[in-house]
Amino acid sequence: MKRLILVLTAVIFSSGLIAQNKINETFAGTRVINNHSSEMLPKQSLEFIVAHKFGDIAGAAGGLSNFYGFDNLADVRIAFEYGIIDNLDIGLGRCKGVGARTQLLDGFAKYSILQQKDTGMPISLTFVSSVVLPYASASTDSTSVTSYPKFLNRFIFTNQLLVTKKFGERISIQVNAGYNHRNFVDFTDKNGLFFAGASGRFRFTKTLGILFEYNHVFGRPAAIVAQDPLSFGFEILTGGHTFALHFSNGRGLNENIFIPGTTSNWLDGQFRFGFSINRRFKL
Amino acid sequence: MLKKFSQIALLLILILALFAFNWKSSGTLSTYSNSRFLEDKLADVSVSYALDMMNEERPLHYIMNVSDDSARMGEELVKFGKLKDGSTSRISKYFLCTDCHNQQLETDDPADESPERVLEYSKKNNIPFLPASTFYGMFNKEHWYNGDYAKKYGDLVKPTRDTLFNAIQLCATQCSQGREMEDWEIRSVMHYYKSIELKVCDLKFNSREYGEFTAYMSSNNKKAVELLKSKYNQINDAHFGTSEIPKIEGYEPSAENGEFIYKQGCLHCHAVGRNITNFDLDDTKLTHKFLLAKKNKYNSFSVSHITRYGTYAISGRKQYMPMYSFENMSDEQMLDLMFYIEKKATE
Repeated sequence: MKRLILVLTAVIFSSGLIAQNKINETFAGTRVINNHSSEMLPKQSLEFIVAHKFGDIAGAAGGLSNFYGFDNLADVRIAFEYGIIDNLDIGLGRCKGVGARTQLLDGFAKYSILQQKDTGMPISLTFVSSVVLPYASASTDSTSVTSYPKFLNRFIFTNQLLVTKKFGERISIQVNAGYNHRNFVDFTDKNGLFFAGASGRFRFTKTLGILFEYNHVFGRPAAIVAQDPLSFGFEILTGGHTFALHFSNGRGLNENIFIPGTTSNWLDGQFRFGFSINRRFKL
Repeated sequence: MLKKFSQIALLLILILALFAFNWKSSGTLSTYSNSRFLEDKLADVSVSYALDMMNEERPLHYIMNVSDDSARMGEELVKFGKLKDGSTSRISKYFLCTDCHNQQLETDDPADESPERVLEYSKKNNIPFLPASTFYGMFNKEHWYNGDYAKKYGDLVKPTRDTLFNAIQLCATQCSQGREMEDWEIRSVMHYYKSIELKVCDLKFNSREYGEFTAYMSSNNKKAVELLKSKYNQINDAHFGTSEIPKIEGYEPSAENGEFIYKQGCLHCHAVGRNITNFDLDDTKLTHKFLLAKKNKYNSFSVSHITRYGTYAISGRKQYMPMYSFENMSDEQMLDLMFYIEKKATE
């Protein structure tokens, strides 16, 4: 253990001994598709995010009858993220919510522990802690997950570590692992769930790229019908704005919702179109 | 006898006092002492002091002596946009003065601030190649925001053309899209400018001209002023170009120049992590391929378009990019820049 600490300390502090350049633009924005990326906002910068997810494109609820999902709205999120210092971001958002849990306030804090450099530091390591508070009135049905006997029952937390590496100019890969805790769940479900995932970006050009994002939840009770969220996206940078267009089986837009609560299945046509628009401001 | 002697002595003293007063008020010294002084000390004399010695009319922004405290505060405002002690808010949240202006000489001959001369000197001294004039010697200029600046700022340039105070304020509120500077802030910046004004040793005299100048200083102030002023540029001028890629027959672009302009010009603001612009650039093939692909477009991604037009502040997007006028980048240099981008994109 001592040796490990010594090696880690040497790795971290040796980064200051030789000239190194930070590897930037691993991802275009602070999110890969819906989950966080290791990208941080510069100090005193504000990012405004509007994100939408529509209804099922295919399957029983999709097709022409609801114009391939465009007539339905799965979730919508408006959020602000702010760089307090170069290594620390905070954010606050509001989602429509999905399923039983609606009217969600969400917040997060993200800290960049390590930053990939051209020499010395091969990866970026980032920690994100986020919380969701559904503020809709509690259900009168005491068997519902939204009956919330106590106020604290409303909260859902997700803590995750993001390990990111940019390979050359075009490819970025991120691996994430974390723990999600819903304070109040159905009696057949588990409050705490471990999960791990991977996401990536391939840039065709300076301003166009494709994205993917996947998360797997471990140890979910067999009685729970759930799917792992899988998304594919296309990003467009315009200088100031970042547009991400994506297809996903997850209905939610916040990691506290779509990681533990995705039930739609790609193979049943239960995937949807979504998009996000990010705009950065200097304050 | 004694009375007569004392009367003559008093008269002589009065005559001498009168002459002494005249010498002082005219600002000139005796031929002998002045020549000696000039030859020994001239190199370190500031241009404004030399002009003052020659009775040249003082400009509105004239400052006799630099106040170290004011100059320090002015330097902080220029380099950090606010005082380091946090007692003031940032002048502009978008830009610092140093994003567009250097603070050192940009040419080995202040009479020639042509982009060719500036590039040559900048390469030798590793100085950023920026779209606005250096602050070094700004104190010695007499006219600002001339030429095509009126196309961009309209009547706002009129009060700035002969008043440095107003020129600084226009730069703060329009060019950097910031707040109005307070009087003491502008005065502090003036003191900073005064501290980095041109010195006679910065000017390029040959030995004959220098001899003439020192001689004129004691005999003909008008000619001395004329000669001195011919040795540096007093006007900040600008002529804007178009987005058209220049065509210069027989010109062979220089990749070395282009690389310097890209790295010390474009990347000065657009480098990733600088957080000055909304569109980051780097020196990778991916970026150069993108810029090459857009070179003939009529939009902000086209190098010739964005360099010559810049962007304009619009409602909802106040931050913008200043353009390089012909005074700051020649057509040949534009071709050098585009040649470097093409070379990096295709290598």
